[in-house]
This record gives sequence, structure tokens and C-alpha cells, in this order.
Amino acid sequence: MTKQEQVKAIFIEEAGEIIEKLDVDILRFEENPGDFDLLNEIFRGVHTLKGNANAFGFTRLGEFVHHFEDVLDYYRTSKESIEPDQLELFVESVDIITEVMTCELDGLPDLPQGYDECLEKIIRLISSKKGETPAAAKPLEAPAALPDLAMEFGLDCVEQLEEKISEVILVTQAVQEEGMNLFRIHLTLDGDSYKRGFDHMLFLNLLAEKAKAIESFFDMSSVAPMDQFSCDENTLKSVTVIVLTPQSEEEIRENFEFLFDHEYSVTKIEAAAAVETTEPAAEETAVIEMRRGEDRRKEERREPRAPSDTSASSVTAPKSTIRIDTFKLDELFDSVGELVIAQNFIAQNEKIRSIEDESISRTIETLSKITKRIQDRVMSLRMVAIRDTFDKMKRVVRDTSKKTGKELHLNVMGEETEIDKTMIDSLSDPLIHIIRNAIDHGLEGSAAERIAAGKKVEGTITLRAYHKSGSIVISVSDDGRGINKEKVLQKAIERGVISGDENLTDSQIFGLIMQPGFSTADTISDLSGRGVGLDVVKTSIEKLRGKVEIESREGEGTTFSMVLPLTLAIIDGMLVQAAGEIYIIPTLSVVESFRPEREIVHALKEKGEFVSMRGQHIPVIRLSDVFDLETERIEPWEGILVCVETEAGRIAIMVDELVGRQQVVIKPLGKSLARLKEISGGAILGSGDIALILNVDALRPLIEAAHGGN
Amino acid sequence: MQFDGDELTIGLELSMEEIREFEQFIRPRLEYIETINIEEGSLLKSSALLSLLVSLKRTRPELNIPFLNQGISVSAAYGTVHWMCHD
Repeated sequence: MTKQEQVKAIFIEEAGEIIEKLDVDILRFEENPGDFDLLNEIFRGVHTLKGNANAFGFTRLGEFVHHFEDVLDYYRTSKESIEPDQLELFVESVDIITEVMTCELDGLPDLPQGYDECLEKIIRLISSKKGETPAAAKPLEAPAALPDLAMEFGLDCVEQLEEKISEVILVTQAVQEEGMNLFRIHLTLDGDSYKRGFDHMLFLNLLAEKAKAIESFFDMSSVAPMDQFSCDENTLKSVTVIVLTPQSEEEIRENFEFLFDHEYSVTKIEAAAAVETTEPAAEETAVIEMRRGEDRRKEERREPRAPSDTSASSVTAPKSTIRIDTFKLDELFDSVGELVIAQNFIAQNEKIRSIEDESISRTIETLSKITKRIQDRVMSLRMVAIRDTFDKMKRVVRDTSKKTGKELHLNVMGEETEIDKTMIDSLSDPLIHIIRNAIDHGLEGSAAERIAAGKKVEGTITLRAYHKSGSIVISVSDDGRGINKEKVLQKAIERGVISGDENLTDSQIFGLIMQPGFSTADTISDLSGRGVGLDVVKTSIEKLRGKVEIESREGEGTTFSMVLPLTLAIIDGMLVQAAGEIYIIPTLSVVESFRPEREIVHALKEKGEFVSMRGQHIPVIRLSDVFDLETERIEPWEGILVCVETEAGRIAIMVDELVGRQQVVIKPLGKSLARLKEISGGAILGSGDIALILNVDALRPLIEAAHGGN
Repeated sequence: MQFDGDELTIGLELSMEEIREFEQFIRPRLEYIETINIEEGSLLKSSALLSLLVSLKRTRPELNIPFLNQGISVSAAYGTVHWMCHD
């Protein structure tokens, strides 16, 4: 790949991100058309896209975006209220932009259907607006518009600093020749630097002597008014310098050798041509937001944003992100997994533990803490908020609402819930299907039907993400008519899915609608109702070691919950021993462990053993029974019961001994063991032994089956 | 430095000592000055002076400092310098 092609690839990727953000922002704006900060944000995205498109010969995209930009520019400067049909045109335009981009990338000669029509509408709109209100066509003359323009294109706003620096870096990379190095230098000189003889300009002068290009950005935000100012004291917050030079990093650093280490940083920026690439098809890149947690919050406290016209603007704060190849991330996770095992080995090694030396004990303790911290941080790299996925669903809801003609309101809860990046990619399709299904079939067919049922005309769809018993649950609820159990049973019998003799629970009946080819829809729409889809949803979620649960009340609504594991890599486990074997119970499922009094243990004929706790009868499960292990049978009050929370309620797992608690790296099992539903994986212990991880949710059905259900 | 009515014209190539003097000079006169101009062809060579100009503008926003409004200074000696005043 040539340098030009690589730069083009970067621009294409950025354009994709801009379009994706446009799609989300335009819907936010549709919800709140008075949010002109957000409109400005959309405009900036479109403006950048136009530049990128034209720079790389995507003229058809460039032309469309150019006119769309004109319209956005008109509204953002005039602040004229936007009519619903114009909003609809905005949404349509974003769709066309997405499609044109695909055409451009695939080199297709034909433009997408609707391109000409949409472009004509845009041109007509801007012409009519300019004709009707000539004053508005000269936004620079409107005093109210001036501050905004300054905010967007000047450098008055610190939020735009990073954006501007990134632009300069990209432009400089494009002209970077062989033998030239690009550096980003950050100067944060102490308050007494002038007294020590160091002025920022001095360093710029030194750097400029050898530089081919040098551009610097002075952040003057912390310069105080005269009553608190003294020119002897440096109050500049920071100066960022981008320099293209033949000098090496070492030579660059020499310029700052008289400064304190904390007063400067030098970062070499890879040349565009040197950016490591692999075959695009095989490479998956993840954008991981590097959270600056407390630092960022402190920064925000120090620099409160200026109040804007719109008190609750939907403009999202710029993210500080770094692109990491997911392959590298996976390698890092594996290495951390091995580190955890090695650390456990050291912590548990009898020979090491027998050394009575305080410094060794302290070192091991420190190692343990550091390992845990590294593990937590590495795991957090893999976790991303579900917000972006939920944002995409807003579009699905909007389009389905329009297509079905049903008025509805979308509630979104728990957008900050974090989920494993590898899972989030597989969630979109199942979510889309469930949402469409909820609107198309869950909600009543007409407003009259809802009124007759005593409900508001506007239906409600609730999208929610939350943690529950060590899992992440993503649910889609509607306040529609609910599932008609009789109808489901009747269809299932008709189609031979069940015989009709079964004594099914509500959950099992609702689960029937997830069977392949099953649909209770009286009419088939292009959205759902063909019986394909819900079974695919089920399969997709099961592939992620999750499951789909359905709750429904006739006349009140239905909730589809996708229950997913928190992560796919490491768990915190309680180690227990039963019949001489070590098992691991995920700690998040454990409620308590105890040796029961004889009086609270009961055995019921054909029902098995129970333990009474705080008015609840909890079934006792013997691991020796589950895994058919030969062992001397002891009574529950002679062993230990570990009470765990499962999907179907609490159970008490009977074990011989509690061994301890440990972080374990989940290792996949071979094909033969993978069939055992009671086991979710294996783990290597610090001692080098292997232990099986219990799937506590699968333990209950076994006892129910053994004892003939509830 | 030249004072003409309510307009002050200064050079940018001030030493630290001169900047201190300028600060002392302008503090009591800030209310009477309407514009601060920069001598033609002079080159910004100190961040301390830039900070002082920003501070003056922050103290009296109606004070006209055309150089500050440019937000940028370009020279072979220092490259392209941008500044953000945050107002």
C-alpha cells in the first residue's frame, strides 16, 4: 500500500465514523430540534466529511454533502425553527450519504435510488430559504451568529484544541518525507520558569532552527485578569508543539534538558506510511475509549463549560480514543491470564509460604495487589459502554414506528452499562429483531385498540441494560397486548412442536415462540412475523453463552431479556472440594455458605433434600450426584452448603470443604466435556491442578428432572 | 512604545525586563487606553508578553488589541503559533 493509499484509508475510516455519528446525532436532533449546539456538531461532521470526500475524489458524495452542509449552515446561523418535513429530509439525507459512501467505496457507477430526488429537495429548500429571507443568507451580518462562528472555526474553544492538533498532525503526515520525524511536544512549564530564564518561545526558536514545519498551540485559558496577574509568573496552562524535523527523538529532548521532567513530554508520531497494517479483511480494529476517570472529572471541575442557549444540549463530549488492533488486545488478555496463574502459583506455593520472612510476604502481597490492578485495567479495556448500540436502536425504533404507523415513545435505561467488546458486536442484529418484533407484534395494532384497552395511544418501548447476579441483562419491553399463551400453545400443537400433553410453565410456553418456523402473527409484514428471526436471536445469544428469557402478561406487555455473561475471559471463583475433586463456583452467584443444623434439613419423598432458610425451602444439590462420583455419602449437616443464586431461584450446593477464593482464567473445555451443561469451563489453579467451573444455572434443571419437576 | 491619545503602540520584541516595565506602565492607565497596536514587522518572542496582553483583554474586554484577535502569528523563527483565549 502506498503512502497515498494509506492516508486515503485513514480518511475513509474517519468518514465512516463521521457518518455513523451523523446517523445518531440526526435522530437526537429530531427529538430536540431546538438544540442548536447539536446542529452545530452535525454541521461540523458534514463539513469535515465534505473536505475528506473531495480530497479523495469522491465527488458524488462531495456534491451531495456540500448542499446538505448549506442547509445545515442556514439553520444553525439563522436559528430558525425547523419544520417536521425538513427534519425528515435531514434524516433522509443522512441515509443517502451512507449509501453514496458505499457506492463510492465499492466504485459503483450508479448512484443510490433517491439520490437525485433528495438532492433536489435540499437544493429547493436552501433556494427557497435564501429567497424568502435574504438577511439570513448573510449570517456574518447577524450579530448573534458571530460567537458561534468564532467557536467553530477559531481557536477560542479549548474543546477544539485536540481536533485542530489532530488535523495538523494529519496534514503534516501527508507531507512527511523519508528521513523526517514528526513529534508532538507538550510543555507545561512551572510558574517560576520565567525567573529561571525559560520562555516557551525560546524552545520554539530552538526547535524551529532545524524544523521543516513547526506549529504550536498556546492554551491561554488559565491566564488571570490583571488583579491576579504578574508577568513574572508563567500562568500558561500548556503549549503543544507539532514539529516535523530530521532530528532524532534524543536530539529533540536535548532542547529541554534544563527543564524538569514533569515540564515537558516528547512523543514521536508514526509516519502514515509506517503505520502497521495487515490485510484489511482479516483485521478488526476496536476503538477503545481510554478513560481518564478521575483526571477527566477533575479537568471538568476546573473548567466548567460556558452556559449555552440550550441548557441540556445533546452534543457529546469529544472522546479521547486510541485505536488498538483487537488481536493485540487478545494477546494482552492471554498474557494477563497467564500472569494471574503465575501469581496464584507463587501465592499458594507451600515452599514459598513456609519462608518466614516479612519482606517476602510483603512482596508477594504487593505482587498480588498489582496483578489484580493490572487484571482489572486490562479487563476494562475490553469493556465498552452499550450506549452506541442503544443509539443505533433509536433509529430502528424510529423507522419501525414510521413504517407501522404506530405512535411510540422509547425509554432508554442503563446506557452506561459496560459489556465485553466481543459480545457487543454480536448484539445489534438480535436487538434489532426483538425491537421490530415488539413494535410490530407486541404493541396493539391500532390506536383504537389501545384506547379500548385503557392505554395511552402512544406505545412505550423500553430498552434497558443492567447487571444481575453476575450477568448483564439487556431487555426490550413493550406495553402492548402481551403474549396470548393459549394461542402459542395451539400453534405449537398444530405445528407438532409439542404434543399437548406436556405440563409447561409460562416461561416454557413463551419460549416456544423462539422455535424455528414458529410465528403467531396473523399477518406477515416485512418487519417480522415470518417465524425466522426469533430462533436466530436465540441461537446468536446462546453462542455468547447467554440466553433469552421472555416474560409476558396478557394485556400489559412483554419483556425479552438477553442474559449475557459479564466477560468471556476471567472470573472470580470460590473453590470448593467435593468427593476429592476441586470445583469452582462463580463468586458472583454465591449468596452464603454454612454448615446447616440438622433440624433445618428435610428430605421429601421423590422431591429430594431441602434446607429451610428464613422461611424458604432451598433444594440441596450434591455434586457427587450431579457428576456421578463415588464417595462416602454423608448427611448435609456433616458437610457444607454453598447457597447460590440461579436463574430459577436459590439452590444449596453441598460440598465437603471450602478451599478458598481465587481469580481464575477460564479455559475452554474439549469437545467431550463441552457437552456437559453443568460445567461452563475449566481453570488451571495456582498448584497446577485443573478445576472445573460450575454452571450453577444448569444444576437446578437436573434435580428437577431427577425429581419430576416442581 | 508610543502613546497617541487613547492608542498605545508597542513592539513585540520586548525583553523580560521591558515586559515588566510595560506591565507597570499600563496597570494604572488601563482605563484610559482604547487600543493597543503592535509595531509593524515586530515579532512575538515571549509568551510572557502574550500572557500580559491576554490578561489585559480579560480585565477590560472592550480594549481593542487587533493582534490578539488574529489568534495566530507566523514567522520563520518560531513557526506558526496559535493561541486560544477562551472568551
